Amino acid sequence: MNGEIETQINLKPSEMLLHLGPQHPLQPGPFLLDLVLEGETVKDATLEMGFIHKGIEKILENRTYLQCIPITDRMCYLASISNNEVFCSGVESLMGIEPTERAKYIRTIMLELTRIQSHLLGIGEYATDIGFLSMFLWMIREREPIISLLEMVTGARLNHSFVRFGGVAYDLPAGFKEKTLRTLNEIRKKVEKHDEIMSRDSVYLKRTKGVGVLSRKAAMELGVAGPAMRGSGVDYDIRKVDPYLLYPDLDFKVITAPNGDVFDRVKVRLSEILESIYIIEQCIDMIPGGPFKQGYNPYLIKPKPGEVYSRVEDPRGEMGMYIVSDGTFKPYRVKVRGPAFATMQALPPLLKGAYMADNAAIASSMDSCTSEVDR
Amino acid sequence: MNTTGELTLNMLKEKFQVTEMRVESPNRVWARIAPDKILAIAKFLSNELEFDHLSSIAGADYGEALEAVYQITAYSHGIVLTLKAKVPKSNPVIDSLTPVYWNAAWYEREAYELLGISFRGNPNLAPLVLPAEMMGEYPLRKDYKGYPNPT
Amino acid sequence: MGEVEGAGSETAKVRPIQKIIDAHVTFTTTSAIHDFLKKTPLQDLINWGRKNSLWFLTQPMGCCGIEMICTGAPHYDTDRFGIIPRCSPRQADVMIISGYITKKYMPALKLLWDQMPEPKWVICMGDCSISGGPFWESYSTIINTEKYFPVDIYIPGCPPRPEQLIQGFVELQKKITAKQDRTQKGDT
Repeated sequence: MNGEIETQINLKPSEMLLHLGPQHPLQPGPFLLDLVLEGETVKDATLEMGFIHKGIEKILENRTYLQCIPITDRMCYLASISNNEVFCSGVESLMGIEPTERAKYIRTIMLELTRIQSHLLGIGEYATDIGFLSMFLWMIREREPIISLLEMVTGARLNHSFVRFGGVAYDLPAGFKEKTLRTLNEIRKKVEKHDEIMSRDSVYLKRTKGVGVLSRKAAMELGVAGPAMRGSGVDYDIRKVDPYLLYPDLDFKVITAPNGDVFDRVKVRLSEILESIYIIEQCIDMIPGGPFKQGYNPYLIKPKPGEVYSRVEDPRGEMGMYIVSDGTFKPYRVKVRGPAFATMQALPPLLKGAYMADNAAIASSMDSCTSEVDR
Repeated sequence: MNTTGELTLNMLKEKFQVTEMRVESPNRVWARIAPDKILAIAKFLSNELEFDHLSSIAGADYGEALEAVYQITAYSHGIVLTLKAKVPKSNPVIDSLTPVYWNAAWYEREAYELLGISFRGNPNLAPLVLPAEMMGEYPLRKDYKGYPNPT
Repeated sequence: MGEVEGAGSETAKVRPIQKIIDAHVTFTTTSAIHDFLKKTPLQDLINWGRKNSLWFLTQPMGCCGIEMICTGAPHYDTDRFGIIPRCSPRQADVMIISGYITKKYMPALKLLWDQMPEPKWVICMGDCSISGGPFWESYSTIINTEKYFPVDIYIPGCPPRPEQLIQGFVELQKKITAKQDRTQKGDT
């Protein structure tokens, strides 16, 4: 595996090949990053993926529509609700139904909660990689109450399988509103504090300011997604561009930062947490009554033949799913367009010319999810 | 009244003689194109119509033919233009979009190894997620024998 | 022992343990020392030390990897059991297979396992590593982990909760105390 790449790359005497991976602490999952170094500068970078390729697209073709939902969870386990949402909204538009009003609210709230916990873990992992271990521990500590909230509704910590066609699996439990508001209040205070620490700490600033700069033009050309894109000053957010669920009516702004360096990408994530809290607080007071799912048998779903491309804003960016139905109980073809896939692809050009020591900061500031890249 | 999506389709129709097309909703438009025109159409879309973002390249197996499906969209608006090009299974070759959209590279590699669509002009058409020894099995094709896993 | 030989006096008393040593053991290799120690009560002391410092290899491979990270972090805080995440296989005692093993990853995983110093244990965390889980029929996964690694503990769940992982560690500790783990039984 490694030998192959070494023979492909012709090294000069002054250059050195460094393998990072497949198991490496800076990675959220296994992938192989080969760096050609000259001194301390990265001359070339190659990525090899697929170490946890599970063939999800093939499995989805062999499952009924309802059975697909748990599999979509496991594409990116940090954003399972968005994965459910992108699949279910696609199938809904194939079937020509709409989620009920109450379900729309519940889904939006859950999507934003997922975003908060994903960003917290993303920042935490990134903090470990740049040697800021206390921040990692704080972030995991902050994340646990959010996980408890998600668990309170869905019954699972990570893989929720919560969204259904035309609704959600369960109603909100009693006391959810009070608990959510209390938790979010605490999280907001803590995140603001962490934000302050991160924007003041001189060592941290030296480590991140001006490192791994992705210009606005380059970001658009490389097609990175989500916070990595918005950190470069592009206000591209599916919630605004191609709105779904309640987002057309909600008041929120797309967080951007101008410089496109590591600092900005993380700053965008921190600010997005606060923005998500604001969104949830708007929704939670207005949840209407009524049914939380459409009254039909979910086991017998047979959409009309056709195809659909649905998109949602995953915590990591634009998540798309292309579903082809041939009128049977199983989808004919499902293709997933993952945000981490797009972001990962842009990593080798971004690493070129950077210092070896900055490699960890740059790679983890992209907050990629290997599982979703490989699928 | 014509929406932006319809206008786009009309432009494609005039310029590239696209015949089969449909408007599903204001934000989703579809067109079937000839496989040899994909590069020209992509150049036209990205240079003249500001479709500057390639969202995804999917492939699908329809028995005799393989289909490459391109979702082209933009950073400034929400219209997703889906272009579909059928290539015969005996000779599944289509032009690569990498000269126009840089990020097409990995999508094409994925479609190449999983479905066997070969993209002419891709700088590095190597397997991305499959181990080298599984290359050539094309697991996403409908006639693939290795599923379910016999082990 | 050094006293007996080093003094060089014929009158020095030969202790009972020396007899056993002379009869059964030649201290030529490390494994000979280990084999000898296994027969003595000293092994219990060693096991006590080992079971209270089960350092595991941080190697997230899937959903369970996230739960593994959470287990090592505050709130579930496994440091209190002496269970500490390590980033290098050279420093780890326990390999947690936290996800789907694919055909492509298998050689690397095997290499990681070989790099870990003895004594070492494997924990299969989650359904994927036990039997394939939701991906059992995929073309790219390996579902018979048992064939490749001497697994001591299986933790079912998709993914298992951190409490379950901690319970798995506790079970492993019990196994080590009872000398029933596969390293000590020689069943590797």
